[in-house]
Amino acid sequence: MKKTVSKIAMGLGLSIALIACSKESGTVVVPVSAITVKDLAADTVTGIGVDGRPQSAGTITYYSLVDNKVVASTDATTTKWDVAFTSTKILVNSGTSGPGLGGAFVFKGLFDELKTIPTDSSFATDNSNASSFAIPWGSGKGWYTYDGLTTLVNPIAGRVLVIRTASGKFAKIEILNYYKGGVTLPSTASDSDKLTKQRYYTFRYAYQPNGTKTF
Amino acid sequence: MKKTIYLIGFLGLFQGSNLFAQLRFVKDTLEANGDSVVVTATRTERKLSNLTVPVTIINAKTIQQNGALRLTDILKEQTGLNLTSGFGAGVQLQGLNPDYTIILINGEPLVGRTAGVLDLNRIALGNIKKIEIVKGPSSSLYGSEAMAGVINIITDATVGSPITMGLRYGTYNTIDANLETKLNTKQLQYQGFYNSYSTDGYSIRPNSNSRVTTPIDRYATTQQLKWSPSSNTSLLLNTRFTKEKIQNEIAVSNNGITIYSIGKEDINDLNLSATLNHRFSKALKTSVRAYTTTYDAVQNLLTINGLPYRDVLNHNFKRIENQTDWDVRKNLQAVIGFGAVWEGVKSSRYDSEKVRKQNEIQYAFTQWEWKPSEKLTLIGGVRFDQNTQFASAYSPKLSMLYKLNNQHQFRFSIGQGFKAPDFRQLFLDFTNAAAGSYSVFGSAQAQQVIAKLDALGQIGNLFPNYYLLKALKPEYSNGLHFTWDWKINMQSSISVQLFRNDIKNLIESQQVGTYISGAQIYSYLNIGRAFTTGFELEGQHKINTNWTLSGGYQFLQTGDKDQIAEIKSGTVYTKNSQGYSRLMKLNEYVGLPNTSRHKLQVKINYNSPKGYYLNARAIYRSRWAVNNNNGNEVFDNGDVFASGYVALNSAAGKTFKNGIGVQVGMDNITNYVDAANLPNLPGRTFYTSIKYQLQNNKNK
Repeated sequence: MKKTVSKIAMGLGLSIALIACSKESGTVVVPVSAITVKDLAADTVTGIGVDGRPQSAGTITYYSLVDNKVVASTDATTTKWDVAFTSTKILVNSGTSGPGLGGAFVFKGLFDELKTIPTDSSFATDNSNASSFAIPWGSGKGWYTYDGLTTLVNPIAGRVLVIRTASGKFAKIEILNYYKGGVTLPSTASDSDKLTKQRYYTFRYAYQPNGTKTF
Repeated sequence: MKKTIYLIGFLGLFQGSNLFAQLRFVKDTLEANGDSVVVTATRTERKLSNLTVPVTIINAKTIQQNGALRLTDILKEQTGLNLTSGFGAGVQLQGLNPDYTIILINGEPLVGRTAGVLDLNRIALGNIKKIEIVKGPSSSLYGSEAMAGVINIITDATVGSPITMGLRYGTYNTIDANLETKLNTKQLQYQGFYNSYSTDGYSIRPNSNSRVTTPIDRYATTQQLKWSPSSNTSLLLNTRFTKEKIQNEIAVSNNGITIYSIGKEDINDLNLSATLNHRFSKALKTSVRAYTTTYDAVQNLLTINGLPYRDVLNHNFKRIENQTDWDVRKNLQAVIGFGAVWEGVKSSRYDSEKVRKQNEIQYAFTQWEWKPSEKLTLIGGVRFDQNTQFASAYSPKLSMLYKLNNQHQFRFSIGQGFKAPDFRQLFLDFTNAAAGSYSVFGSAQAQQVIAKLDALGQIGNLFPNYYLLKALKPEYSNGLHFTWDWKINMQSSISVQLFRNDIKNLIESQQVGTYISGAQIYSYLNIGRAFTTGFELEGQHKINTNWTLSGGYQFLQTGDKDQIAEIKSGTVYTKNSQGYSRLMKLNEYVGLPNTSRHKLQVKINYNSPKGYYLNARAIYRSRWAVNNNNGNEVFDNGDVFASGYVALNSAAGKTFKNGIGVQVGMDNITNYVDAANLPNLPGRTFYTSIKYQLQNNKNK
């Protein structure tokens, strides 16, 4: 009877706040600025099944961190995208998810304080056959917790997703919210709000185009 | 004289003909904490004013005049106690969860806890003489579970009217009927009590047809027989039987799709005890007690479009115990006791509901009470519990009373309490097929079960915690209580109590590995450390012969010591309103969930010489944390809280000279409802009752 957040995907309308990303060259390290993406739809819910679970089309929303835009799903098997979103699951362009050089790990700490990716970090790749993804999927495992009582998904405080892009460069992401408008619903929100307003990612990220591990 | 008070209190209604008794009553209210006899604190009869530990007494008159039917009704109006919801209504004592308070009926423990909670709605209050609440660790006398305190419900066959009948009707078609019969001869005393309670339940959750409190039929009977063949010997037999039937038709609608389920629950709870008392001399007496109780609960849930669900719990507890009271000298008294417990549980949540999991406990205790002067009493006690299933426990306690003068008394106690690992923590064998196929294995067999699965190639990873699995130790608490009672004058008194409980070895579920599929495997380890501390203030003021004002306040602080250490080390984060993470500060930490910083209650009572009474009670509880909102597993100001609230209750009635009493009452007058967090608080409810008691001219 409780709606569980299911794992299928679909992309709908999105509005993206664009902030220009400075390109730099040479040896002078200029801190990259953070970009916030708002309300990125990731397999939004289309209805509810007879089993009480949410239904959706099962689509995946592909995203290019390099270009800061959504990539068409027809390009899923290319290296045009870096990360992809489908309900609470986040993919990187690697392994079973895509042909790229992607990889990721979850860093415990603050987004702004992650200035250099530690040298001893190891990037994992997606391997969906054993249900193991570079960004571990499941409540409390990666970037979110799911509360069975309120049926709400909340990002875990102090988690940074460190991403290796499809082309082997580096970025960092902090998931800010999972609900439309970037505001977590109150626990008393109606069931229909909890269903229809979920699966809209708001996140901020910083991408380092020069190939270094420094932001 | 005391007996008169109990008698009337017991009957619950004023005897209009007895002016003297009424005056005594008013005095009794004021001095309820004055000189009643208490048995729970020392396992011997002691006057309240001579006790070394803090005790609250709720007498039958208060219960009756407040219109309380079930144990929950009266406990929620006490200082320092809060009700919890989930797995029935439990009681939180000084911030400690329901698991840590032992519930006794005439000194014998009730069993049948679900997830540590004993549903206190099981206990009807119609025939009880009083409730004694001891605060602070009392394992030195009672063993496991008496970590936060003890609640002892006492019935008494020796006083009362031959026949008492009561009928009450209230909102939600709630009907409560009582019949009590008594026989009182020199050698034989008998009390029979029958209670029937039924309610349609209620729904306070919007958009849902399912009821928060479900339709219930409860029947309870207690029979008490006391036979005193001589003045030195008596035999006491007690039986109690409760039968509950709960049927709930649940319809949950989501976006127009409705799922129907029918839940049926049958609960049978039987207690039998026999006590033989014998006094050898003025200085020496002994008692042998035999007790057996079985709690049997079967729950079936049939869903139209889902799998049926069946849950079975059968808990049996047998105990035999001897206690000897010895007055060594005039100012030195000893209690020496020993006993054995055989306990077994069958449950569908273990590997097989057919197999009974067993535990045996042997224990011995002693307590020495020394009164070096009129002003000073010192008590030292210790108990040792040895178990077959887990490590043994040793529970010392020291307490003292200092009577400075007629106005001021000081009490101080320090003691250790424990709670043995329960059967669930030892034997649970539960796999949730619906939610990701995770498993929880009790610690007694986790390594064995996991090794077997590993041999079958089903285990993916074993975590370091797996190798730490070993025999669970009991959870321990060290409690400190300091109380100052100040009797300001004949009309007013106040009491201040400081308390602190430090708990270690808390048993918590921890992930110990994963299946090949990635699904988690959990078991239980002794890892947590926590504390609860604060103070309580209680006061009474007799405005005049008819009106009494009383109140209580508790300030409570709680915390998980490991979480506090993590926050201090700068590894705990929280989120700001934009969703950006930041470091969490210690002053944002709110402590343990479901604990409120403030609780206040104020009561006003009116009792007239003509048999009229009226009372109004306001109970305030401040907000408490219910859900973690930011995934940091620590409760802070950014999390989800249940709002603080006030419940306002009132009752009024009159007792006529011929033994008829009438009462009307209204609970939750302001109609405060919070369906998610206070399922046990329906909206405004009304009730009316009538009671008749055959007049007994032989008041003792």
